[in-house]
Amino acid sequence: MNTEVSTDLVCPDVYQWLCHLLKEIDGITHPPRHARRQRLDVKAEALPALLALLQGKGSFVHLSAISAVDWPDDGEFELVYHVTSYELKVTVSAHIRIPRAPGRYLSIYDIYKPAGFFERDIFEMYGIYFEGSPWMEKFILTEWDGPPPMRKEFDSEGWVNDHFDWQDYHPDWLKDLEAQGGGIAIRSEEQRFSRKSKDEG
Amino acid sequence: MSALKDIPVRYETPQTTGGNPLANVFDEFIRFCRSRSLFMLHYCTGCGAIELPPAMTSRFDMERLGIQPMVTPRQADILLVTGYVSVKTLKRVILTYEQMASPKYVIGICSCTVNGGMYWQSYATAKKLNDYLPVDMYIAGCMPRPEAVIEGLRALMDNIAAGTSDNWKDYYQRYDHYLANQQRLFGETWQTPTDVIGEAKNYGVIGPQTEGEHTRLLSLHKQPLEPLRMTLNAGRLERM
Repeated sequence: MNTEVSTDLVCPDVYQWLCHLLKEIDGITHPPRHARRQRLDVKAEALPALLALLQGKGSFVHLSAISAVDWPDDGEFELVYHVTSYELKVTVSAHIRIPRAPGRYLSIYDIYKPAGFFERDIFEMYGIYFEGSPWMEKFILTEWDGPPPMRKEFDSEGWVNDHFDWQDYHPDWLKDLEAQGGGIAIRSEEQRFSRKSKDEG
Repeated sequence: MSALKDIPVRYETPQTTGGNPLANVFDEFIRFCRSRSLFMLHYCTGCGAIELPPAMTSRFDMERLGIQPMVTPRQADILLVTGYVSVKTLKRVILTYEQMASPKYVIGICSCTVNGGMYWQSYATAKKLNDYLPVDMYIAGCMPRPEAVIEGLRALMDNIAAGTSDNWKDYYQRYDHYLANQQRLFGETWQTPTDVIGEAKNYGVIGPQTEGEHTRLLSLHKQPLEPLRMTLNAGRLERM
């Protein structure tokens, strides 16, 4: 039996099947996409019910990731829950939008245990607090006391300019290198971050 | 055996200036030997570490120059920092460096240790390694090939043999400057278990800038080290 054909035909009408399943919950739009990569736009309050349904009835046992997107112009965070079914060979991405101002949402740790890991990461990088998540504390940036660094309003370059010095440009080094047969093709006036040009400008 | 006690033993401090005309010869000989037997602690922080296995093993064979990897900082001569140094890693690099016995040399490999490299904009990455540690040699490149690594190590060997590579003294002589940069990044309560000023006195390389306003700040915050508590279920989290 040809495996390539069989993977395509595992569930030829996943879209129909999902549409039928998702009638049970309000607040879900389901634009047609590729058969094995379904996108659901969900209202924030419907997401836990959707995930419980997908895990319980739909064999979507694997939470691959939770991604967060910052939309500062809309004043919203977008959270994307990627769940996968090994039986159907389908990944469903459930997109929700939550308001940026309080930045709080419910944890889905009781549905998917690995969610604690992703939620802790998002809390650290975006400052979104997940109520009910077991480890809402520092994770990777244990020695960081600044604002959440992945938010769009965080000025990484400004922070770097405040906290670090740049290496001064030494044209003498270039002469030494050229004397040995090597060289760099950036001239001093094209150097981006020299302390000298910063002071003059 | 009792006759051994009767042999007179005299203790003399070696004179470095004047007197013995052979002193310089011995110094030169010691420097030559030191440059031919370098033990290297490679702190593999970034992608430059991938160039070290070929440099060490049979193709480029660093060992023919007398350079070998070493497992502990106490026995190593060279601290090789191979790539970007995040703020968290930098603390560990400084702790490692201060545990090494003098004379010790620091080599920064890849552009990330020179000026941040491709992480120039990153909030989490230290930009100039020589702000925090006395770097003897930078090997630039992203990443430098094993030929470049060996070229840099040979240059360091020449410097050691010529006696021009003694930046480890600079760390003791200008400890206040290095500590100032470390405190700027890690906060005022930053401390290491090593008594750097005491070591500087021991080596006799204390300088006018060894102590200053930042070392005073350190002495205010310095807390005595406590031994680690021994438990039976080691590695198990307390709260679980």
